[in-house]
Amino acid sequence: MDPSEVEFLAEKETVKIIPNFSLDKVYLIGGDLGPFNPGLPVSVPVWLALNLKQRQKCRIVPPEWMDADKLEEIRELERKEDTFTPIPSPHYMELTKLLLNHAADNIPKADEIRTLVKDIWDTRIAKLRLSADSFITQQEAHAKLDNLTLMEINTTRTFLLDSLKYMYKLRSNLQPGSGKSQDY
Amino acid sequence: MPCERRPMRYGHSEGHTDVCFDEEGKWIVTCGSDGDVRIWDGLDDDDPKSINVGEKAYALALHRGRLVTAASNNTVQIHTFPDGDPDGILTRFTTNATHVAINSSGSRVAAGSGDFLVKVVEVSDSSKQKTLRGHEAPVLSVALDPKDEFLASSSCDGSVAVWRIDEQARVTSWNVLQKSSDVINSKSLCRLAWQPSGKLLAVPVGLAVQLYERDSWSHVSSLSDDFITKAVNVVIWSPCGKLLAAGSVGGNLAVWDVEAKLCVERQKHEKGYTVCGMAWHPSGVQIAYTDTEGCLGLLDGVCVSSASAQKSLKAPDTKAAKDYDALFDEEDDGLLDEEASESHSPVKKNADAEGDDEDYDMIPTTARPRNRGSFLDDDENSLDTGSVNVDRFSENNFGGSAEPATAPVKSRPAYDGPVPTPRQKAFQPSSTPAHLMHRFMVWNSVGIVRGYNDEHDNAIDVEFHDTAIHHAMHLSNSLNHTMVDLSQEALLLACEGTEELSSKLQCSHFSTWDTCKEWTVDLPKGEDVCAVCLGQGWAAAATSALLVRLFSIGGVQREMFSLPGPVVCMVGHGEQLLIAYHRGTGFDGEQCLGVQLLQFGRRRRQVIHGEPLPLSVKSYLAWMGFTAEGTPCFVDSEGVVRLLNRSLGNAWTPVCHTRENCKSKSDHYWVVGVHESPQQLRCIPCKGSRFPPTLPRPAVAILPFKLPYCHTATEKGQLEEQYWRSVLFHNHYSFLSSSGYEIDEEAQNQASKEQQELLMKMFALACKMEREFRCMELAEMMTQSVVTLAIRYATSSRRMALAQRLGQLALEKANQLQGEVQEQEDDDDEENYGSAKQNSRFRESCGGSRSRPSNARAEEEYEEEVEHEEQMETEEPAENRRSLLNPFNKGSRSPERPSPKPVNKEDRVNPFKVSGPGKSSAAPSGQPRVANVLDTMTPSSRKPGALPNPLSKQNKSPVLKPLVPRPKSKTQATLLQMNAPKLSSKKSEKEATVEKLRPVEVPPMPPAQDNCENRKPKTGFQLWLEENRKNILANSPDLEETDVIKEAMGCFRQLSAEDRLVRSSVCVGFTSPVTLFIPPPQHIVIFTKYIYIYCINIHLFYQTETGYSGTEARPFMVVLSSVRRCYIRTGHH
Repeated sequence: MDPSEVEFLAEKETVKIIPNFSLDKVYLIGGDLGPFNPGLPVSVPVWLALNLKQRQKCRIVPPEWMDADKLEEIRELERKEDTFTPIPSPHYMELTKLLLNHAADNIPKADEIRTLVKDIWDTRIAKLRLSADSFITQQEAHAKLDNLTLMEINTTRTFLLDSLKYMYKLRSNLQPGSGKSQDY
Repeated sequence: MPCERRPMRYGHSEGHTDVCFDEEGKWIVTCGSDGDVRIWDGLDDDDPKSINVGEKAYALALHRGRLVTAASNNTVQIHTFPDGDPDGILTRFTTNATHVAINSSGSRVAAGSGDFLVKVVEVSDSSKQKTLRGHEAPVLSVALDPKDEFLASSSCDGSVAVWRIDEQARVTSWNVLQKSSDVINSKSLCRLAWQPSGKLLAVPVGLAVQLYERDSWSHVSSLSDDFITKAVNVVIWSPCGKLLAAGSVGGNLAVWDVEAKLCVERQKHEKGYTVCGMAWHPSGVQIAYTDTEGCLGLLDGVCVSSASAQKSLKAPDTKAAKDYDALFDEEDDGLLDEEASESHSPVKKNADAEGDDEDYDMIPTTARPRNRGSFLDDDENSLDTGSVNVDRFSENNFGGSAEPATAPVKSRPAYDGPVPTPRQKAFQPSSTPAHLMHRFMVWNSVGIVRGYNDEHDNAIDVEFHDTAIHHAMHLSNSLNHTMVDLSQEALLLACEGTEELSSKLQCSHFSTWDTCKEWTVDLPKGEDVCAVCLGQGWAAAATSALLVRLFSIGGVQREMFSLPGPVVCMVGHGEQLLIAYHRGTGFDGEQCLGVQLLQFGRRRRQVIHGEPLPLSVKSYLAWMGFTAEGTPCFVDSEGVVRLLNRSLGNAWTPVCHTRENCKSKSDHYWVVGVHESPQQLRCIPCKGSRFPPTLPRPAVAILPFKLPYCHTATEKGQLEEQYWRSVLFHNHYSFLSSSGYEIDEEAQNQASKEQQELLMKMFALACKMEREFRCMELAEMMTQSVVTLAIRYATSSRRMALAQRLGQLALEKANQLQGEVQEQEDDDDEENYGSAKQNSRFRESCGGSRSRPSNARAEEEYEEEVEHEEQMETEEPAENRRSLLNPFNKGSRSPERPSPKPVNKEDRVNPFKVSGPGKSSAAPSGQPRVANVLDTMTPSSRKPGALPNPLSKQNKSPVLKPLVPRPKSKTQATLLQMNAPKLSSKKSEKEATVEKLRPVEVPPMPPAQDNCENRKPKTGFQLWLEENRKNILANSPDLEETDVIKEAMGCFRQLSAEDRLVRSSVCVGFTSPVTLFIPPPQHIVIFTKYIYIYCINIHLFYQTETGYSGTEARPFMVVLSSVRRCYIRTGHH
């Protein structure tokens, strides 16, 4: 899975916008959107929010968790705990990136938030690497990881699976059967 | 007598504080751990002057323009008072000073420090210092002897020492205190105090206060009380020296009469925080105290004995002989003073209050909440508000005149009655206070106007919610405009006049089509704009001269009129202008507001003539405006939203209590708009304040409306609330239509449908609860068609008595309806003036009758019936149209007429209603299933024979004869009806029907089924056939019997479905109604009864069974109110 595909999925998350135009309900396959009243918050998918934002048709209201204080708390908790802590949004990384890239002017303390989310991400990825490491060194058959987001799984998937495959190959080469073949 | 504890107020950030009065008692001076010294003009001062003296201030002393503070930079410094300019450093320690004291002449300052030293410094020459060494721990407190001889000090080493200052020697010491390592660890601050006469030294020791005698230094007595549960922190002497007050760590305050050793006063800190600073007002009436949370409190009216002593001492020449009236005047003066001071410095005052978000009571949009706060707290102390206010006013008197203590003492018994409330100031709705540097000047449904007034910029930002209206604007605000309103057309700004400049009104008419967008108007000198508003095509400004000046939006001066009182708020919407003003003086926290609602446009009139505005108890007006639909609405400071109920004689109905939605007591909702459909209260949630800050940009939230009905936890209550809310929030339809606006008929029908549904639900609920009388009451509110549903419900739940009564009710309603229609027709015939009034009345009643049938759609399953009925109803206008000869009337009505049609088409699913090709559909080539009654019936009856197919027309003219019922099988009848609409697709079936029908004509067919339906008379087709037989025969004389019938069938089919139904129903009504019924027996009973009784009175209940499609065969039950017209048309009645 490509990160861009994950991002695509993340764009289905809803976010509140304050439109500056007036439009009746829009009937789409994915569901009805609107009605859009100027000045009145309305929930729309991120893709639409960004589109409207780029056309300067709305202001985006940052999600509740996208707040420096809250993220700081999460970061502290993430650093304190050994396991993965629950994250406010399953697409926190993608949403942060999307919203901050396109609507930084609507988000208070955008830079701070960017740093905080990056910190959280780094902490979690480090944990992920660590657990992958212990998984491999202890030669466990299965492992369970809670509260991982799609993007996080996606970053480690190829690497972990490939390395496991190679290790399996290497190990099976060490098997007695294959050892015999070396004897020939 | 008990003293009054005034509510605590926020003074400093959390931490140690100290307090004192200046010599005259005019100012309260506090210092705190934020390093500031604040100078309060009484407890109610919202804008104390702040002097920064360091990072932290530990203690302060004040004497004649000298403010001595102990700050965290280890110094004891002097500032001038009250200006606050630094005036040098008195002395330094190696660590911070813990306490400072100044002697009564102000010549010496003593300070104790954390480095175990006590220093006594000459103020005039700081080099003359005396250092008192001997304490073995940080010094807690120092106290200078009034006679300048001794100095007492207490220390953390547990000792209290008395020093002879000149000799710098310790005279005596007592080891009475608990030892501790530092001031912060000490159990008590152990503030010592000398009696003003110097005779006694008071030392707080544990729970008691020990008194030591001068010179002998022996322990004289000990003052204690059970009330004090924790160590005493501070003691102070009253100015007269007779009383001693102590404040404890537990927040208890006690006052003793020292001679009698009697505790005369006990007060508890409202939150139980540690009292760490106390000061006695020089007049002896008040004690100010501060706590370790940085709050300042005041005990008022402490011990009158002392005060009166004071009085006799200090003010022997007071106005003892003044009579009560004079006192009253004096109080009024006080009030005026206060008001004046408030109006002079609102900016400063509020600036401070704005900084403290926690204390919501202190964030005044006007001066009022503060007063109210004190009122409320007074209730706790079971003191009447009158005296409280008198105190407050007297306090002001201290400030204004130099007559301390006289006014309160004398006026207390003088006047206990209600006290006038300061009038609330004029404001613009949805604006934040004008003193803020960044504020919302207006936030309405059009846009947001923000004002900036800081060092670099004085500007106004205008932003539109909908950028389609106009792009954002940035204006410089050189005139210092404070009042703004924004509409779709223009931006209106106004400023108050200054010394040089007169008050200005500036309008930026951005929607104009010419190039000059701006116009300004200067008001006459001395007349200031107080409130402005914009309507559609006009602007209004209320001025201090009690005038309302109207302008056109282009700047033409229009009407002007006088207001009965000073304006509070003014809003416009469309052609309506709503003004709230002071109609008098409110008492005890109430405002006395009046409201006027004016309507411009075609019919200029005053809708509300200055009636009182019903505010909540002890609240003031916080917001006023119109809903998006144009209904006046206002919000008071208690958060109650009230809407004008036009259908209830312009009464105000509370529709929402915003504070109920708040999580915390200090949260508020700042209303920005009200919408009736959809029902939305748009507001901004404000945490801990009454209004939002401009940054971060606040988001609008939507609150639902909820009328404060009883028992809303029960289903009954909920339904009632919903019903009345629906009624209230749809009042605007009638208003809009009466004032000539277009209204959304569909939404209106939807609304009335919803109301009828709710009524039906309530009816069902009442039925279930066996409340038949209540059922009747509910039925009276229903429309006639819904009553029939109710009848059905009642009968199916076997409530015969109820059903019978309902039947009568239905009849009455139908009669009424008929009466209306009749009247309307008469009116139309008689009064053909085509005047607007006439038209509007007609329109209204027309709308009423039209909406009525649609109400019947209370339940889905009855849709078809209603459909049917509606078609009947639509006949009515058709009828009218025919009877009308007046082109005026026709013209005026014609735009109205088409409205029911689209509704029909969109709303109903009726197989009959395949939109037919209109009139031509009657032609044989046309569709067999013809659609609209209007289309088919109207033309045909007007000009019979003109159309290609004469047969289809002639069916209108023939006289309907009640025929001798012939036995007829039910199956045939129904089969015919069922098949009729879809014959084209079922030819074979049709043939069969025709075959079966044939015997009807010639010899009476023997009964096929031997049931109760045997008595069934002719079907509609039969009747029709009989009527038209001659015609058919005339047209084609050589037809055989079967062919005649076939021909007739064809013609009959070309009739509209309604026509056929009418025919069927008429046949039912005039022959034997029972025959067409296939319902449960009880229905028959009731309906036959009705029909027997009332068929003459044109009311006909009929039930038939018909099939629209192959799968659906639904029972029909409809009140045929318009059958009469069939008769008229057919000339039978």
